[in-house]
Amino acid sequence: MSLTNEISNEPNNKGVQKKPISHSKSRKNRKIEWTPYLYLLPAVTLSLLFFIFSIVFTFFISFTKWDGVNDIQFVGFENYIEMFNDPNFLIACLNTVIWVLGGLIIPVLIPLILAIAITKSRFGSAFKNIFYLPNALSPTIAGIIMTVLLSLYGLPQVMGMLGLDSLQTNWLNIPYVNTLIMVASGAWQGIGINLILFIVGLNNIPTEPIEAAKLDGASGLTLYTKLILPLLKPTTLIVLLMSLVNSFKTFDVIWVMTGGGPYRTSETLAVTMYKEAFVNNELGYGSAVAIFLSIITLAISWFFLKDTFKGEE
Amino acid sequence: MKNSVESRAPVINTFLSLLAFMWLFPFLFVVFNSLKSGQEYNLGNFWDLPTTFSIVENYEYLATKIDLLSGFMNSLVYGLVAAFLAIAFSVLAAYAISTLNIRGRLFWFLLIYSGTIFPFQMYLIPTFRFYSFTGIYDTKFGLIIFYIAICMPFCLFVLRNFFYTLPKELVEAAKMDGAKDLTILRKIYVPMAKAPIAALFLFQFTWVWNDLLFGMTLSKSEETRPIMASLSMLGGAGNNIPAVLLAAFIASIPTLVIFMVLSKSFEKGFIISTK
Repeated sequence: MSLTNEISNEPNNKGVQKKPISHSKSRKNRKIEWTPYLYLLPAVTLSLLFFIFSIVFTFFISFTKWDGVNDIQFVGFENYIEMFNDPNFLIACLNTVIWVLGGLIIPVLIPLILAIAITKSRFGSAFKNIFYLPNALSPTIAGIIMTVLLSLYGLPQVMGMLGLDSLQTNWLNIPYVNTLIMVASGAWQGIGINLILFIVGLNNIPTEPIEAAKLDGASGLTLYTKLILPLLKPTTLIVLLMSLVNSFKTFDVIWVMTGGGPYRTSETLAVTMYKEAFVNNELGYGSAVAIFLSIITLAISWFFLKDTFKGEE
Repeated sequence: MKNSVESRAPVINTFLSLLAFMWLFPFLFVVFNSLKSGQEYNLGNFWDLPTTFSIVENYEYLATKIDLLSGFMNSLVYGLVAAFLAIAFSVLAAYAISTLNIRGRLFWFLLIYSGTIFPFQMYLIPTFRFYSFTGIYDTKFGLIIFYIAICMPFCLFVLRNFFYTLPKELVEAAKMDGAKDLTILRKIYVPMAKAPIAALFLFQFTWVWNDLLFGMTLSKSEETRPIMASLSMLGGAGNNIPAVLLAAFIASIPTLVIFMVLSKSFEKGFIISTK
């Protein structure tokens, strides 16, 4: 069962929902039964404690100045105004945009091409396992491996041996180049899930329309652009949404590969939030960045899911 | 038509093989270089094969920098306990939301599901402050309870959807026989949900094992620090690189084992974690 199917189940569920099984038998027995709510108790308690409390607290703190030690000072929108005048924040926004654009191209296009090739190859399942293998590593570990591979005794040394002396430097120290390298490292680790989703999507496409189109003389590229890719649209939308949201959330890879450096040039919003709150002790400012990040990711998710539901109806 | 497809097969396989080599290359790099000694790596050539077998020395070097074993055991406990309890709580909640006679089903679902709707950055500051205030900062209990909470939303999403697909006649028949709600859950629902529960367990364990952000934020001592937070303190390059690679390899063993178990069931295209 892929995510696509799960989401498409949604409308059906609502139908079922309206019909609870144990109808209240008669007016006399109508008083509220408390025992069923006990089943919700552990999950709801933890959710209130960690999620709802956190969301309210972060929202409140974002309007204050607080270092966690001295008294909380209410400052209105000052953190938000400061944010848009802070060069570090603006650089983080720019890097986040690079991550998002890179995340739209690399982790979506590469798995799509690979999925098409894999469904055509006789050794498909072997290739699928190979491309999924880095997914068995954590982003932290993938980051560490890539850092080592790209440090001076790694690939740059090979470039030096090939006579490309200008490439024999620490690539992760070059602003913006390091962000692109990290996007690619993230893709190396993370395309597995997208690949599987695309393969499942391709295998679920009905064969009849394709056979019919082939009889009509459609082949190669036309077959894909006119028929297969449009049929694959629901999967593509899910993969796009996941890649977008993941790009906004990326933290681990950046933290271990550059730590946001050199001179805070490779930070994204997620990293900036962490640094302001836990390195600089600017809890109010960090919260404001978290709120900004939330608004953007929620808006994107809503935009995509709204479209997905429309497509299902 | 068929001929043209077959004549393209070698091109496709060559293309895939080249990329597959690129994808596997970092793995080969890790395996070969974690065998070298630190000196051998720094002085040698990139393409040299290891001439020594320095795993023991590299491990001893690691022990002077971080407590990898304690991180490994901590994460194992956090992953197993949190995945188990998160699923237990989600089974109860999903059962109530999907089957029992309660009001506001969607409200309760969204309340618990809110955990994955917002970015994790929203939870960092409040949880850290809350933990410092109550004194559970840097305790195993604190980390486990947070991991349970953060694993619940996805479990609930999957289990709720699964419970909706179960035929309601089963419950009605059991009710006729006088079965209590809890008995129906234990004897009918849970056994039928074995497959999704097993998959969820592996995915949630993996999620906890891989977590860096919360482990880093909610712990400071070696006794409680989970493995990824511990690894991130190694500082990547700069010191003994073969030792760093060895640590990366050791820290990947559980997830690699899970990958091998799961790669067999991939064919079915089972639930795919989105976290």
